[in-house]
Amino acid sequence: MNPASAFFDESIRCLKRSPLFRGLAPSAIADMVSRCRRETWKRRRQLPMEETWKRFHILLSGRVRLSRGNPENGRMITLFLLGPGEPFCIFSLLDGKPHEVMLETLDDVSLLSLPMNEARQWLDAHPEFNRQLLPYLGEQMCSLAGLASDLALHDTETRLARLILRHVDSDSPQQHVTPRLINDLSHESLAEMIGSVRVVVNRQLQHWKQEGIVDAHRGHLEVEALQELVRRAEELPHKVPA
Amino acid sequence: MVEENSCVAVYDNHLQAEEAVRQLLEQGFAADKLSIVGKGYQREEHPIGFYNTGERMKFWGAQGAFWGGLWGLLLGAAFFWVPGLGTVVIAGPLVSALVTALEGAAVVGGLSALGAALYSIGIPRDSIIRYETAIKSDHYLLIVHGDQSQVEQAHEVLAGGDARDVTIHLS
Repeated sequence: MNPASAFFDESIRCLKRSPLFRGLAPSAIADMVSRCRRETWKRRRQLPMEETWKRFHILLSGRVRLSRGNPENGRMITLFLLGPGEPFCIFSLLDGKPHEVMLETLDDVSLLSLPMNEARQWLDAHPEFNRQLLPYLGEQMCSLAGLASDLALHDTETRLARLILRHVDSDSPQQHVTPRLINDLSHESLAEMIGSVRVVVNRQLQHWKQEGIVDAHRGHLEVEALQELVRRAEELPHKVPA
Repeated sequence: MVEENSCVAVYDNHLQAEEAVRQLLEQGFAADKLSIVGKGYQREEHPIGFYNTGERMKFWGAQGAFWGGLWGLLLGAAFFWVPGLGTVVIAGPLVSALVTALEGAAVVGGLSALGAALYSIGIPRDSIIRYETAIKSDHYLLIVHGDQSQVEQAHEVLAGGDARDVTIHLS
């Protein structure tokens, strides 16, 4: 991207807020942005596996989800829900291989994009980035481990409670909180994040609504009784970074 | 129907935009896939207008040669006065998107008629606001319409030139 672009400073500001890039020298961030091209993708754009590993992307605005599906029964499981400042596909950046994952945009998104080999050159030029990358990878691995153990060990109510708690500040003194990233998702999308189906999630949310734990209606989710939701989750899950 | 993938480049002046069009045509891009948007440069000593000679529309003003040449080359020609932007001159298939937006009253909330036309070809709101600001500041937009591989190729060509900004918009 040309530093004279009206989008250049905006992109740098976004990366400076990202946990992955926040501690880097401004020159390293500017070097990254100048190597990238800016793209926008419309909502509901899907990228098949063959395309997700060719270029490295960093989200500037909007959300994308990385999922796997079973073509036999059409069921999906969302592995990651990414927001502004987050990269994809980080695993292909590291091992240079495609991974079995489907990408879909949940909003109109804007992003930075560069070829994988260019991203690796940037990594070589800025080894200090590893100080941020390793904890980020640790978070990703914990998130996957959390998903796997939730699926294997917990019932739907617990899994749903833990999903919501991953996206709120559960230490908040407030009982009324709005989950980040997931508060406007459809019940089907929420179901795909916990390995369930829409009707089950819908029934659970309605039940909690009657109990005064959440306020849930179409495209809107609020927690009304945070400590009660924590109790339903049995234990506090690993957090999605702010 | 204009395709909903595009590559948009912003230029500081009409000479740079003209050169970029020439480069794209040399690289084999079809003229009917290119649009240009700019502000009809307006000063008291430069009256502007447009008129027909035969089947060709011509521009009369400080950049008459530029717009006249593009109107002869690209598919579509238009001259509008847009509230908030002033005079806007367009060449290429974006004209049909703008006319469709106007005729269909498909003006999107908070956007000008030009913004609605850009929105209809898949450009998101935040980018539209930047592009409208660029046009107000006497910059020029060059838009390449096409499928994903075409707009990516266009990006390769345009990113190596004088563009202030080049962005790919995919549907």
